[in-house]
Amino acid sequence: MRKAEIWVSLAFMLLGVIVIADSIRLGFMWGRTGPASGFFPFYLAVGMVISSVIVFFNAFTLYKKEGAGKPLMPPGALKSILWVVIPSAAMVMLMEFVGLHIAAALFLGFYMRAVGKIGWTTTLLVGIIAPLSLYITFDKLFLIPLPQGLWGGYILRF
Amino acid sequence: MVEDLNNLMMGFSVVMQPYNLMVVVVGLILGIIVGVLPGLGGANGVAILIPIVVTMPATSGMIFLCMIYWGALYGGSITSILFNIPGEPWAVAATFDGYPMAKGGQPGKALVLAFLAHGAGVIVGVVVLTFFAPILAEFALRFGPAEVFAVMMLTFSAFVGLGGKSPLKTVTAILFGFILASVGMDIVSGQLRMTYGTFVLMGGFHFIVAVIGLFGLGEIFLTVEEGLKVEGIKVWIGLKDIRDGMKEIIRYPKALIMGTLIGCWMGFKPGGATPASFMAYGFCKQASANAAEFGKGVPAGIIAPEAAAHAAGTSATIPMITLGIPGSPTMAVIMGGLMIFGLQPGPMLFVEHKDFVWGLIASTWVGNVLGFFVVLAFAPIFASILRVRFAIFMPLIIYVCAIGAYAVNNRMMDVYYMLMFGVLGYLFKKLDYPIAPMVLALVLGDMAEQSMRQAMIIGHGSPLVFFTLPLALPLMVAAIIIFFWPVIAPWKAKLFAKKA
Repeated sequence: MRKAEIWVSLAFMLLGVIVIADSIRLGFMWGRTGPASGFFPFYLAVGMVISSVIVFFNAFTLYKKEGAGKPLMPPGALKSILWVVIPSAAMVMLMEFVGLHIAAALFLGFYMRAVGKIGWTTTLLVGIIAPLSLYITFDKLFLIPLPQGLWGGYILRF
Repeated sequence: MVEDLNNLMMGFSVVMQPYNLMVVVVGLILGIIVGVLPGLGGANGVAILIPIVVTMPATSGMIFLCMIYWGALYGGSITSILFNIPGEPWAVAATFDGYPMAKGGQPGKALVLAFLAHGAGVIVGVVVLTFFAPILAEFALRFGPAEVFAVMMLTFSAFVGLGGKSPLKTVTAILFGFILASVGMDIVSGQLRMTYGTFVLMGGFHFIVAVIGLFGLGEIFLTVEEGLKVEGIKVWIGLKDIRDGMKEIIRYPKALIMGTLIGCWMGFKPGGATPASFMAYGFCKQASANAAEFGKGVPAGIIAPEAAAHAAGTSATIPMITLGIPGSPTMAVIMGGLMIFGLQPGPMLFVEHKDFVWGLIASTWVGNVLGFFVVLAFAPIFASILRVRFAIFMPLIIYVCAIGAYAVNNRMMDVYYMLMFGVLGYLFKKLDYPIAPMVLALVLGDMAEQSMRQAMIIGHGSPLVFFTLPLALPLMVAAIIIFFWPVIAPWKAKLFAKKA
């Protein structure tokens, strides 16, 4: 937990420095028409660096004194979270090729069957009815075009 | 006063149009479902459904979004009482006594008590809204950029000083939100900022995408980590339960009044409903003669936090429509919806879009009264939603989240951002960085920067402008005191301890 704390505060610091760099490029002083573009972000980033440095030191001293503390996740949790994160990331990648609804149907089917161990009938029913009804609601009734991907348009032809 | 009543009547006539009435009912039901599902709450429920709203007229759309909010408030208490799973953070306090009472064989009574307390809290909140909002709006019409910025400072200071989380982490989260808001095109000069020559960063980050990721996906990852165990109590609300509940609630006027007042007051401040419900519970317990009974299923322990949460939820509307500063994350998202319709939240709404504002206020009356009967009649059906296996509705939620994130801007990039924000939200929750102020900063970022820069121009580059204008000065002073409250409070305590 404290290790994660330290890493996250370091990440905030790094981000702050990157933002400061760009603010300096834009100018953080008084420009021709009032405060320049970098004015606001500059002070924001300075504040963020300062506060994350303090968070970092607090966490670091505690870490030196009392060790790493509790782990960030309970044992075994990482696996079940990855079982959600990776398939959903895969779904998003698939969206680029087959469109949102087909990718989601595959994702639904995969997760329910492989992770949830749900029977084939329910899996197929939910995996087909849910995307179909959402497709009809959004694309057909409300006319909000959702991504079709490269080939989605050829598959869903109604 | 009379004018307000007239306006309210006009508002009712707007809400009573058949189309709007239908929107009210559909919104409420969707809201209750959203509130019941773990991992979805008011904020991301509204965020996901914003794309649908775009196709409606502005007033109906806003009524729809608000109804989801009211429905989610009701839905949250169903799950916290019957399943001990708070669907919303502000429903946590209701589990302390609600779940024991339901477990003790009186689930119907517990629910009726909660809904009645809701009703009472909302009625007071909505009365305050009806009569106080126009006054505040008229006052706010005198605000210039410096005052607007000062009000925002006050809002964010309240998160730091009174939010209850680590002040340093809150500051970091707020600044991070502001920085995310400033990515992309500079609204004043048109220059590109923080894009580092990349194309993808040019569009910036839309806060609805952030909300969906941070609240929606982040919450799902947490639920997956904890492993969801649903042990529900079967319930059927009979007429006897309703009679019992009504008799019971009259016996605890103190809890009801205390909860409502705390709620109305806290709702003004950002992040109001959650602390309000905890505060009401705490106060009620302290004031009670049988404090030891709390936590075992006493009626007062349900009434106070529920009344507070709903009163706060209602009065959170006031700063949103009068000052353009949302009182809760959900209100922030609703405000985002307002902007999509091209309406600038703030005091000018009361002048330029009377029918819209009063339609919204009237819909709060109608929605909450209708909502009361809908939950009373169908609570068992809504509760059965939770018995659906988590592995079925979890991927469905992610699917709907993806639709919501894409439809905001019709950009594929936003779906990737949503995933990113999901992981970030999980980390934030684990490491106790508050999410609500960060989202609020992302929402208000452009407005805050613009008003600050305008104020600086008015002051010819001197930041003293915030401390010399008569309206801005007290706001800034209050903001600074509240900001440093975590430092001042122990110091003050020491001072008083020495005297005593």
